[in-house]
Amino acid sequence: MSWAWFHKLGSPRWFFLWTKSWALPLFCLGMVCLLLGLVWGLAFAPTDYQQGNSYRIIYIHVPAALLAQSCYLSLGIAGFVFLVWRMKMAPIFINAVAPIGAVMALMALVSGAIWGKPTWGTWWVWDARLTSVLVLFLLYMGIIAIQNTLEDIVLADKAAALISVLGLINLPIIKYSVEWWNTLHQAATFTLTEKPAMPVEMWMPLLISVIGLYLVVAGLALWRMQSYILEREHRASWVKQEVVGDGL
Amino acid sequence: MTYFSYFKAEFLVLLRRKQDVINALLFFITVIVLFPLGVSPSPIFLAPAAGGIIWCALVLAILMAIESMFKEDYNDGSLEQLVVSGLSLPLLVLLKILVLWSVIVIPLLLMLPLLSAMLYLPEGSFWVLVATLLVGSPSLFLIGAIGSALTVSLKQGAMLMLLVILPFYLPVVVFATGAIKAAQEGLPYSGLLAMLLAISLLSLVLSPVMTAISVKASVN
Repeated sequence: MSWAWFHKLGSPRWFFLWTKSWALPLFCLGMVCLLLGLVWGLAFAPTDYQQGNSYRIIYIHVPAALLAQSCYLSLGIAGFVFLVWRMKMAPIFINAVAPIGAVMALMALVSGAIWGKPTWGTWWVWDARLTSVLVLFLLYMGIIAIQNTLEDIVLADKAAALISVLGLINLPIIKYSVEWWNTLHQAATFTLTEKPAMPVEMWMPLLISVIGLYLVVAGLALWRMQSYILEREHRASWVKQEVVGDGL
Repeated sequence: MTYFSYFKAEFLVLLRRKQDVINALLFFITVIVLFPLGVSPSPIFLAPAAGGIIWCALVLAILMAIESMFKEDYNDGSLEQLVVSGLSLPLLVLLKILVLWSVIVIPLLLMLPLLSAMLYLPEGSFWVLVATLLVGSPSLFLIGAIGSALTVSLKQGAMLMLLVILPFYLPVVVFATGAIKAAQEGLPYSGLLAMLLAISLLSLVLSPVMTAISVKASVN
């Protein structure tokens, strides 16, 4: 199998031209999946015998929390790739995905707080999982802040990559916090290896909205990366061609 | 330049520019004074909170001290000289951190008996506090050095560095105050001290390399 197509993705130009037509379909498909999952989950899935209707916030909370962690994992990998191989696309990726991840972490925290009120009787507890997701949010904000404050772009890229890699240490803490410590937060809803404990009418819409949100985020990330590429490569002739086209 | 001459020079520079170190220590005392006055001066509140108050003040004071650790060297160009000196940059950075650590932590240890008495820290947990300080503070300096090197080129880098570095300090604070609390309640605390030591050792491995990368990126 030839890996040339993969190496070509490291070049901003190839990446831009190759993904130009991908962002919109990914985003639209994701939106359709997300809406389907949400409407199914919020309106048609059976109620929980213990939590009643309040459990339905799972259809927003779980996808957002999963995405917050996946985005950070990808940031960490991109940071590592940049520090080791100095690929040009890696800082563009970090720049594009960090704000999306921050929004996802915030969504997970807010929806979790809203869910916590009826089920635990409190908006917030200083529980291991909640605190580590809050730290994840702060790490995202740190990456965004350092990217935007440092004026030297080479230094800013390197700084964001370093912080992304260092912050990876927080991910296993989030993942295993509910297993290591006895906390209020319940254990994972989904695992790859086991059948979920919920009935199929309950987990199916959840699965669909998770996939939908992944696709939406992928589409958004591609869009943001494309505009960063145009901004950073604005001196290249292919960008002029691309933006101006055949004439103004 | 040799490693030893660099170590000696760093030490002398810090001793002759005492004001930076003294400022950090004064800041530490001021933050500690803030808590009895701001929350409650009664021993019922202070005794269980003393370990946490001391550690919070410690983290803030260390961040203040570390923030400017490369600033002077960056402004007068000696940071560049380190990069081109031909010696191993991570090792030089490690020496610099070691000097700063000893200059700040030794006076802190000397002040600790007085301050912990002022906060009514139970006597039995005093030595646990000293132990957490000894095994936990190296990681604070090592992690902070990365942030300091990244923000050295900024005029007003303190806020940014705090924002970026503070999340990495949280586990250290959690384990340190956890150990002090466990000691006060008569529970075993050696596991928590071992976690602190593990964090310090991990940052001892990672931080000099990462700081060297950041220094190189900052001076070019």
